[in-house]
Amino acid sequence: MESIRDSGELIPGTLEMLILKALYRGPQHGYAVAEWIQGTSQQVLKVEEGALYPALHRMELRGLLKAKWGASENNRRAKFYELTTEGHKQLQSESRRWARLSSAVAFVMQAS
Amino acid sequence: MKHRLHEFLLRLRALFVRRRLEREMADELAFHQAMLQDKLMRQGASPDEAQRSARLRFGDGRRWHERLRELWQFRWLENMRRDVTYSVRVLRRSPGFTAVAILTLALGVGANTSVFSIVNGLLLRPLPVPESDRLVVLEMLRGFPDPVEGFSEPMFRALENRHDSFSEVFATFQTEAEIKGENGTEPARIELVSGDFFAGLRTPPLMGRILTRADDQKGGNPNGFAIVISEGFWQRWFNRAPGVIGQKLHLDNVLFTVVGVMPKRFIGEDPLQRPEIFVPLAAEPAMDGERNLTTAGLNAWWMNIMARLQPGVTMEQANAQLAAESGPVLRQLNANGAWISQREKEHFRLQAESGSTGYTFTRQLFRKPLIAVFAMCGGVLLLACLNLASLLMARGAARQKELATRLSMGATRRRLVQQLLTESLLISAAGTVVGLALAPWVGQSLSALLFAGQFETNLDTNLDIRVFAFAAAVSILATIIVGLVPALQATSSGLNEQMKQGQHTTQAHERHRVLPKIMMAFEVALALMLVVGAGLLTSSLVKLYRSGAGFDPRGLYSIAFSMDHQSKRGEALMQFYQEVGEELRRQPGVRTVSWQWVVPLAHMTWDRQYYAPGGKEEDVHENAIAPDYFKAMRLPVLGGRDFRWDDRSSSGEKVILNRTAANLLFPGRNAVGQTINRKDQSEVASLEVIGVVGDAKYEDVRSAAPPTLYHAMTQGDKEQSPSFNAVVRVEGPATGLANAARSIVLKIDSAIPAPKVSSMETLVDESLSAERTMALISGFFALCALMVTAIGLYGTLAYATARRTTEIGIRMALGAKRAQVARMVFAQNSAVALAGAAGGLGCALFGSKLLASFLYGTSERDPWIFAGSILMLALIASAASLLPALRAARIEPMRAIRCE
Repeated sequence: MESIRDSGELIPGTLEMLILKALYRGPQHGYAVAEWIQGTSQQVLKVEEGALYPALHRMELRGLLKAKWGASENNRRAKFYELTTEGHKQLQSESRRWARLSSAVAFVMQAS
Repeated sequence: MKHRLHEFLLRLRALFVRRRLEREMADELAFHQAMLQDKLMRQGASPDEAQRSARLRFGDGRRWHERLRELWQFRWLENMRRDVTYSVRVLRRSPGFTAVAILTLALGVGANTSVFSIVNGLLLRPLPVPESDRLVVLEMLRGFPDPVEGFSEPMFRALENRHDSFSEVFATFQTEAEIKGENGTEPARIELVSGDFFAGLRTPPLMGRILTRADDQKGGNPNGFAIVISEGFWQRWFNRAPGVIGQKLHLDNVLFTVVGVMPKRFIGEDPLQRPEIFVPLAAEPAMDGERNLTTAGLNAWWMNIMARLQPGVTMEQANAQLAAESGPVLRQLNANGAWISQREKEHFRLQAESGSTGYTFTRQLFRKPLIAVFAMCGGVLLLACLNLASLLMARGAARQKELATRLSMGATRRRLVQQLLTESLLISAAGTVVGLALAPWVGQSLSALLFAGQFETNLDTNLDIRVFAFAAAVSILATIIVGLVPALQATSSGLNEQMKQGQHTTQAHERHRVLPKIMMAFEVALALMLVVGAGLLTSSLVKLYRSGAGFDPRGLYSIAFSMDHQSKRGEALMQFYQEVGEELRRQPGVRTVSWQWVVPLAHMTWDRQYYAPGGKEEDVHENAIAPDYFKAMRLPVLGGRDFRWDDRSSSGEKVILNRTAANLLFPGRNAVGQTINRKDQSEVASLEVIGVVGDAKYEDVRSAAPPTLYHAMTQGDKEQSPSFNAVVRVEGPATGLANAARSIVLKIDSAIPAPKVSSMETLVDESLSAERTMALISGFFALCALMVTAIGLYGTLAYATARRTTEIGIRMALGAKRAQVARMVFAQNSAVALAGAAGGLGCALFGSKLLASFLYGTSERDPWIFAGSILMLALIASAASLLPALRAARIEPMRAIRCE
């Protein structure tokens, strides 16, 4: 139905996988997800808010995430996202796919 | 799949918690913004700076919001909401068009739904009893083309105990009875029912018990005659007294005991009647006295028989069984051999027909007119839809620029069709709602009109599930016709081209458009058919009125005296009538008074076989009358003399024939002074013809006057009841007649029920009510059709011409005369109207055959009516085309060209 694929500076299609990975460690709000991706990638991957939130909501609609309102670390009301079983499964298959894909790309690029 | 379902459910939920969802989205974004601000401040920015750069990074919050919101919405729902708002705006911009469109549809849907609700009430609605689909109506085939439903008592008793295919067989007869109350007698509608009536209809009583076989015995059950009353009568007569069971009632001077009360929903077997009292069939001889129908045996055919099929027995099996039993039933009757062989010659056979909708005489009478009205009504609705469709098409053409603009802005054709459909959907929905709101009211007045004066009827025309389903089907169909065709047409290919090239290209396009023309031609054809139908029916009605009743009904009144339950007979009775007649003659304005037994046109028939010596037996209608009868009726005496009060039985039986009877029995001879004979059981009666009079209609106005024979009431006849009707010729108003008759009777004997006065003029009107209503309704429909067609022809031409303004301007600038322009525009519609009229003529020639059975003295291909209808349509079409043509002729070339 929806086909908005706004991936910012990311390689198309990877944002959802990164979000899944970010949430693998436990429930987080949107801001923390963006910060974690940015920090872990050594500031290489920049997550645009304009892409982040539609992606989060889309994943919630598809049942990969579920959302809950709670208090943030500085005691503000925030929306926390969490992986569902469906989300965990999705993360597994996505990371397998990514591993295959990236090694294949590296293989090609290293060829002389 | 699973994802889709999850998405669907969440979106569905979102519909209901929309406000909360919006707030949460705002909160989430605000939180993100605050966190960002904190981070910037931690990095050393001032609060102001942090706020500014955070906002800069975020851009417009509303855009965000919109994107998230879209995720949570059903797109189609949102589109629909937008279409509806847009359509409402468009429709409101042309309120005139919208109002006409809605009103046209409302009339179409309202009229159809209300006619259908009558059809439903009369022909389709099942009886409100359990398992009504197992009920059947019994009929006899006896030589007539149509089956006969009136049975005689001995025949019913022979059938009552045959349980091979029926669990219950029961007979009914509706009539009136006089109840003795505290202040004189009052009439009540009663129904004579046989023992298994209530068992067959399976409805438990509200109070007390139902009537059974034990009550339907000679003399009633051991405690006398029992009756069951309706809830309505319990209210009216007993004021809902709880102790009603066991109360006594005098009906026609017979004592009855109330044993039960039936609930309101129980209406018996006739959907049109609401009997107040149910009386055992076996009480009929006691109530009707010496002239009762039961003792008349095989000479009286009066009751209707219904039955309930045994479980598991099909209609076919029951019919096979009945066919096999027909012979044995005949031989079981206590009849002479001649009678039985006569029936066998007629191929007498019993058969069953579905009785799930009950039995009503009215149905036979109104089935055909009702279906004809229904068909006309459908025609008008179709016309209304076609008309709206062509108007919408014309509008679509005028809106092509708007549509092309939207198409070029990225809207798909599908979206445009959806939006245009929404527009027509709105129109048809509004039309349907208004129409449905009107339907019960229109239905009531229509059924009142249709059954006017015919019977006291209680047709249930309420809107039930069937009516709603019908209305829904009608409006869906209307929407499709009204909406889809114009929408597809308006968005057809080539729109972009038109956008690019302005208005000019559309003109060639416009002129070659055939669909709207075909639709308009179709409209004209339909309208012509309706006008022809109305013309034929009206001409038939006029002919009926002109043919008249034979007698002069104006200023003629009939006063019914009910003497069946009085003791006066013979000489005393004649004395009474002579006395009352003299008193009546003294009333102001009264010119002539006489008496008759059978009131013409009141659906009563008295006939026997007569023959001239040596001639063959002929069926002759009869009546018993007093002297001065022909003077009162204004029937000419063609030969011989009138009766005298001193014509008694002792002086030999004398009769007067009407012209038809005289010609039939004595062709080419003078009937006066001749003798005619009638075979009674064993002897032959000889009657002397003393006069010949003019013809008068007998059963109804439609049928020609039958051969009729008049007896002198003073000479008595065993078939004649003691209740006669005064025939009073009045000059001027007859308002005091009823009171005068009552006081005259009271002076003589207070036990005699108040006489009933009726106007013969009204009777003639009523006997033509079906014809009159048909003519009235078809005339109304034809008028609607003409109006709708005129609007359609005018509207489409006006639109088309408006769009050709520039072209016409150029033509004129190049030297075209104004008259030429007018002719050109006018010719467009003439072609359409001509084609439509030709098609309509063909269809009308075929279709009018269906009306043939309703027509009196009018050929279904009456050339005058056809020519007149075509002329009328031509006039209407010309009038509708004239205005646009004149407007086109008045175009100023320079202004028209510049306006592009």
